Amino acid sequence: MQIIKIVLLAAMCCVGAAQAEIAVVVNPANNNAVTADELSRLFLGRTSNFADGSKATPLNLAEGQAARDEFDSKVLNRSAAQLKAYWSKLVFTGKGTPPKELADDAAVKAAVAADSTAIGYISSGNVDDSVKVVATF
Amino acid sequence: MIKKSLLALTLAGLFTAPVYADVTINGFASIKAGMTLGSDEQLYGYSDELDFKNESLFAVQVMSDLGEKLSVTAQLMGRGREDFDAEFEWAFVSYQLTDDMQINAGRLRTPFYRYSDFKDVGYAYDWARVPEAVYNLDFDNIEGVSLYRTATLGDFDSTLQLIAGAFDGDAVVTGLTVQAKIDSILGATWELSRDWFSVRLAYLAGKTTLSNPDVDGLTAILNASGLAGVASAIDVDEESSSFMGVAFTVDKNDWVAVAEVTRTEVDDSLIAKQNGYYISLGHRFGSMTPYISYEKRDNDAKRDIIAMLPQGVPAALAQGVTEAVERFEVKRDAWNLGLRYDFHPSAAFKAQFTRLNNDITNDDASLLTVGVDLVF
Repeated sequence: MQIIKIVLLAAMCCVGAAQAEIAVVVNPANNNAVTADELSRLFLGRTSNFADGSKATPLNLAEGQAARDEFDSKVLNRSAAQLKAYWSKLVFTGKGTPPKELADDAAVKAAVAADSTAIGYISSGNVDDSVKVVATF
Repeated sequence: MIKKSLLALTLAGLFTAPVYADVTINGFASIKAGMTLGSDEQLYGYSDELDFKNESLFAVQVMSDLGEKLSVTAQLMGRGREDFDAEFEWAFVSYQLTDDMQINAGRLRTPFYRYSDFKDVGYAYDWARVPEAVYNLDFDNIEGVSLYRTATLGDFDSTLQLIAGAFDGDAVVTGLTVQAKIDSILGATWELSRDWFSVRLAYLAGKTTLSNPDVDGLTAILNASGLAGVASAIDVDEESSSFMGVAFTVDKNDWVAVAEVTRTEVDDSLIAKQNGYYISLGHRFGSMTPYISYEKRDNDAKRDIIAMLPQGVPAALAQGVTEAVERFEVKRDAWNLGLRYDFHPSAAFKAQFTRLNNDITNDDASLLTVGVDLVF
């Protein structure tokens, strides 16, 4: 039993180490602060505005991208399947559409740099001056 | 199949015509197989022979954003039990009045229940089907207008829906096939939710007229026998009707609990007050979600109507009235035990065992259903 516990612990440590930090990014011209709660509301379609009332355009990473899974579980507290079920409730009742999905970090970064209403997330390692970090997880 | 593809294409064609329209096509499907476990048992359209058609369905939804806050949504669905003949389940125009207010007009889903809006989208919930003890009003869609208003109240998200419309079509009421007309439907639903908790209240009212040859024949005889009072207590002729529902959901630490209670009344008619509730508890273990639920229907026949018959009416007439009234007595409950397995990012496998007890007819039944629900 002890051995199993140690192996499990070791495995958990490695998994922990493998998880990269994610950075939530907005256009440098955007001066809004974004709390974790607001972030979750934006990406679940419950609000479409930043704190100052200006329009927000959330951008998702494509399914299968590492930062997407991290974001889903850490910020939205839901598994991929739960989120799909959540969105299917809104989509098939005409009440909402999920955020647009972009292929990878580079695409999100380019879209955020080009659009003052955009908000997305990428792996912290890929952040540069073209975007502004408002939160990390 | 070809007819449906053509329809879908025509639909897509219709909505893509303006070059600037932004069209989204989504779909969902369920492929289900089921059979009752005892010989001669019947339940939810299944018998003791394995059936793949009864609850299987395919649907395509086209949403076209016409710009300027206007959009059109149409959902075309083919149900196995209707030979997959595709029909517009709903089709409506939406106008975004403000960021938090939207008007929909057209053919809309009647918002009776917590899961009414997406009860055909099996992927959206864990059960193999929505609990029949509650989800049994056969007026799924109405033609009308609906207003949605979303707001934030402290930590809660509030969604208020107001609806006005009418229903006109065939329906089944407690096993009786009727021609139904419900006019002046007015209703409101209000849902309050926060991260892990939600509560939903619904109230709808309307004027119901139902006609069925047997019931109409009976009221004609009563009228001819000078028993107009009894006839009017039986017939369903522009009667005030109401629906009330309350639902709770809790989704915390991988536990999922849902409960819903509903009551339907059609005044001054032979339709019994209809009471139903269910309670369900599930737990997510990664991609596996086992659940257990209990559901109950409890409708007392309006025996007051039988008591209105004066002494000395012909026995056959008394029997006719008694049978007509008592057929609306329903006492049944069921236990459901099932599993949802998310084996694929867009598909869930489900297996559910249902054991139903019917205290009135004593036809108990056990049903096993397996299937796959998907979204695309």
